[in-house]
Amino acid sequence: MPQFFGGRQAAGAFYDTDFSTIDSLLAVSLLYGLQNKNDCRVAIITMSRPNLAVAGFADAVERFYHGPAGNFSQLPPIGMRTDGPPGETSAAFTAPFQKRKADGTAVYKNQVRTIIDTGDPITLIRNYLEAQRDQNAFFILSGPASNLAAALAFPGLKALIAAKVKYLVVAGGAFPDGPPEEHVRADIAAAGKIFAEWPTPIVASGTEVGAALEFPGASIDKQFAQAVPDNPVADAYRAYQPMPYDTPAGAMAAALYAARPREGYFKLSDSGTIKVDEQGRTSFVPGEKGNHRYLIADSAQKEKILSAYVELASAKPEIRRRFQPPVAQDAPELKK
Amino acid sequence: MITRKSLPRRTFLRGLGTAVGIPFLDAMAPAFAASTMPDPPVRMAFFYLPNGMIMDAWNPTYDDGPLRELPRSLKALEPYRADTLHLGNLTHNTGRALLDGAGDHGRCSGSYLTGIQVKKSLVDIRAGVSFDQIVASQIGGRTRFPSLELGMDDARQAGDCDSGYSCAYTNNLAWKSETQPLPPVLNPRVLFERLFGSGQPMTAEERRRQSKYRRSILDFVTDDTHRLEASLGPTDRRKLDEYLSAVREVERQIERAESDNRQIDPHMEKPYGVPADFAEHFKLMSDMIAIAFQADLTRVVTFLVTREGTSRPYRELGIPDGHHPLTHHRNQAELMEKVRRINEYHVQQFAGFVEKMKASKEGERSLLDNSMIVYGAGLSDGNAHLHEDLPTLILGRGGNYFKTGRRVLARRETPMCNLFLTMMDRMGLPVEQFGDSTGRLDGLNLG
Repeated sequence: MPQFFGGRQAAGAFYDTDFSTIDSLLAVSLLYGLQNKNDCRVAIITMSRPNLAVAGFADAVERFYHGPAGNFSQLPPIGMRTDGPPGETSAAFTAPFQKRKADGTAVYKNQVRTIIDTGDPITLIRNYLEAQRDQNAFFILSGPASNLAAALAFPGLKALIAAKVKYLVVAGGAFPDGPPEEHVRADIAAAGKIFAEWPTPIVASGTEVGAALEFPGASIDKQFAQAVPDNPVADAYRAYQPMPYDTPAGAMAAALYAARPREGYFKLSDSGTIKVDEQGRTSFVPGEKGNHRYLIADSAQKEKILSAYVELASAKPEIRRRFQPPVAQDAPELKK
Repeated sequence: MITRKSLPRRTFLRGLGTAVGIPFLDAMAPAFAASTMPDPPVRMAFFYLPNGMIMDAWNPTYDDGPLRELPRSLKALEPYRADTLHLGNLTHNTGRALLDGAGDHGRCSGSYLTGIQVKKSLVDIRAGVSFDQIVASQIGGRTRFPSLELGMDDARQAGDCDSGYSCAYTNNLAWKSETQPLPPVLNPRVLFERLFGSGQPMTAEERRRQSKYRRSILDFVTDDTHRLEASLGPTDRRKLDEYLSAVREVERQIERAESDNRQIDPHMEKPYGVPADFAEHFKLMSDMIAIAFQADLTRVVTFLVTREGTSRPYRELGIPDGHHPLTHHRNQAELMEKVRRINEYHVQQFAGFVEKMKASKEGERSLLDNSMIVYGAGLSDGNAHLHEDLPTLILGRGGNYFKTGRRVLARRETPMCNLFLTMMDRMGLPVEQFGDSTGRLDGLNLG
């Protein structure tokens, strides 16, 4: 039955990242694989560092998965923060553009030439949240929390987030405790603000989860290559480090949990509160009134999770059907 | 010491039921006081075109920087390229479906100047105070009319004009309050009498005398005109003469249209006095905008050239198909070409207005220099119903404020309301937020 005659659309996925790891790029592939299964709809991708080369590649990946814009269907721009350090530009984001077809033309086209070809992350978050039904969106954060903290500070946006968003899944920190983690340390004030003020439940996927569930790199030349001969994410993976290698996958874990919270892939901590200290160290204080939890890698689920990573992330792009069957209800433990 | 008394800026030539405003004259400046002469006022107008554009003929192929050769749809504006700002990437998110389903035409015109997602309803009409009315409410007291609302198409204020959106949304641009649109004047005669009537109700005897002779309104102000001319220098006399000739020409055109209407098909939809010919109607309405600006009768105009979803055919171009159906061209070359020709035709009419504005002098500058004339649409690609990269031109420098002759691209998805904030700055109303604005539109000013 068409969606507008009943049921509910899959939740809108808002992904904010710095693309500082290959895992953060694989998470995009995973989200589109989940979209193919009607487990989410990729709404927008926003970047938390001003790096046009990386934004250009992210845009090319979006075009690869989204397909051409058509009637009533827009391809939103990549949102890109314009202040802060640009960070490193890995070969993963530039080498794929050198790839040529047999006729000598580029396989992937970089259509981000200047900042004009990107969008303001806060405007995009606001605009695309307004298109979501209440409590039918989720955020995934894999990188410094700068954009999300700015969104909280923008007039009216915190209330909109509270109305539209079910939960935020943060790929960052270390739980129940551990040394300062890179994403948190990159903008400690922003991370502190998010954990203190974000108006929905937060689930953290700490570095220990990503380390326990490494993405199997061998799949790049098997499942990925079999699905599509030219996949920009697979080409980026090959250029990121000498092959073969597996990679920690904290962002993928966050994305998988966010879209399929009822699947039982992960164990979930009790409720509590996550705090950030001045060094960027995260700590978890249990307490029933707390609105935070963290994921716990479950060794019994490892094979299932890695299979899901590979199957979903390597999937051939599909043009999203406008009307989809209704989706299942959310995880009861995340109800506000 | 010279003590010549200057002519008041708000001088009217008065006669039987008539009050003709006059343009800015040298005599209005204090003698030998050029350095203290106040800047002419800044005027603002919106020309709204429906159903989007064929964007390959609208957008230049180049990015930011000086405007080089204009794209095909804008060729008629080539003589005014140096006076033009060609803006890209402005977006009306509130025109999008968001959660309200079909009805992009109803939404986009309702949100165009309000920056609000209008309520999808046929009876519970809700938009927001439009940006032009905010300006009018603040500066409108300085002119005879706080604002003028003009149109050419359809004045229905009720009924379903698009998928459950009331015609109030498609047939009005200006909103006085969230529930009160300001319907546009469609009839040139009505507009003419509004501009040049005394504003006082005429007695039955006065009305009888006026209609009996069917004379020009200028005949009723002859005495005042002669008195004024006697006090003017040769430059001002010529300027006044040119202006009154323009008023007379508009009046003649209206009379001609009224005469034509009596002779043609009685089943024609156009009301008495409204020209059947699109170009003639456009010229009359836009000539009166120029006159109203020239005489400082108002500083704020909205002109809904035709309404969203209009199915008006353009037989004068050999296009019998309706405009709206054509814009759902499904990328068929033949249909797209017809839409391109309609887009070009509209711009050609607009260019005539720009020419008039540029020819009218105000001190060292032109009337166009002292204006911000926005020509735009609430959809970009009408086939796909896209609300981003809205076609937007600004003609005029807003009184030495904008650096024109350029293509300016904002970041993608930049709210259109950011442009409105910048324009409000220029109108002397600095506000921090309007509609869904996120800040001001950078890069337009002379800096």
